[in-house]
Amino acid sequence: MAETITSNPFVDVSVFLFFEDISDKQGVEGFTNYIVGQAKSLARSVPEEEYDTWEDFTNAVVNGESVLSSFENIKQISSNGFVTNICPFSKAIREYIKRLGNFNPVHMEATDHYNHTIQPSAAHSACMMHQTYRNEVAKRIKIGGKPLQYAQIAAKAYTGKIALPPESWKKVLLEKAGISETQGFMEMRENSCLYVLYVQD
Amino acid sequence: MMDIALYSLVDDMVSKAGTEGVVEYWLRVGESYAERMGKEAYVGWPAFNVAMKEGRTSLTIEGDVNVLTDLAIIDKDGDVIGYVYALRTCPMAPTMIRFIQKIGPIPDSDEDVADSYNNRIRDSAVSNYCITHQRFREVAANNITVAKQPLECLHLANKGRMGEVKMLQENLARINVDDRHIKSILRSASCVFALIVKGRTAGEEITE
Repeated sequence: MAETITSNPFVDVSVFLFFEDISDKQGVEGFTNYIVGQAKSLARSVPEEEYDTWEDFTNAVVNGESVLSSFENIKQISSNGFVTNICPFSKAIREYIKRLGNFNPVHMEATDHYNHTIQPSAAHSACMMHQTYRNEVAKRIKIGGKPLQYAQIAAKAYTGKIALPPESWKKVLLEKAGISETQGFMEMRENSCLYVLYVQD
Repeated sequence: MMDIALYSLVDDMVSKAGTEGVVEYWLRVGESYAERMGKEAYVGWPAFNVAMKEGRTSLTIEGDVNVLTDLAIIDKDGDVIGYVYALRTCPMAPTMIRFIQKIGPIPDSDEDVADSYNNRIRDSAVSNYCITHQRFREVAANNITVAKQPLECLHLANKGRMGEVKMLQENLARINVDDRHIKSILRSASCVFALIVKGRTAGEEITE
């Protein structure tokens, strides 16, 4: 599957600390800008992809062959609804708590800043990186000549808190994903992330 | 994924803060990481070395460490003042392999930051991550006491992804270990360091 070589948690934790050091110098705005900026540049580094059909694309994603599934195992739950079972940042978050204790509050402050200034979809600072990466990578994938579109529906933090979009957005996104709200909540019991992938008609 | 992001973060940081700025960030991260691990105390070297072997110390969170008990460092009176340790796998190695596999070549900024550190501070980095890793060890060692004496970490040598080796002769001289010996340890390790009682030096010169 997608991730065959596991990272050393020593490195994962130090990246969190790097962002904390940035926030010491440049505030939560600097923290947010850097985390979003580096996710964009990471996405720009990955190779572009093109697929003839939606089925070709979904097969590649589910089998871990697409750049979208380079760092996570993705499952398709409906025509356009997708879930990630285990958050790719969960190991790093666990190790941080195990080694250093409580998360520095700056991570939640940056998350709030992102939710208020960019989009209300992050449950943790790592979500800002992850969702930006997905959004930018989607632009590099073409299906039948059209670019892939991505929108986040729900994200669950290590505390159990679920970040959801405003009611008006949620309804549209669930409809686009082809699932009901109840089905969405059922999926979030088992998974860490729920999102919609589609191409514009 | 967090670790993979490191390369694009460093790339971004270099464009905004320059290589020198990134070196400063990394040094501070190494210090704060070690400080937040807290203090440790061991009754003697055997207890400390067992903890190192079992991965219970703050120093072994970086991965499996070979405790080279045959390389005891002694002072003039023959008392043990420290040991040599070898980290089997560089913590960045899995990330590098995955980055190359999933994304592509390692960005030039990795080497640029390492060069900036090597030229201005100490010639001991084979990648940009060595800066924070080595600083972490040095600060973490100061927070550990063995028989009520604080420790000092002496970085000795490390090996890069392409086989390049950095060796700190001044630290080798301080513990009286021949560089050929360290090279042989590096065949099956990525990083070699000594932990000694703070401020102490091995007693005798090597005689051929």
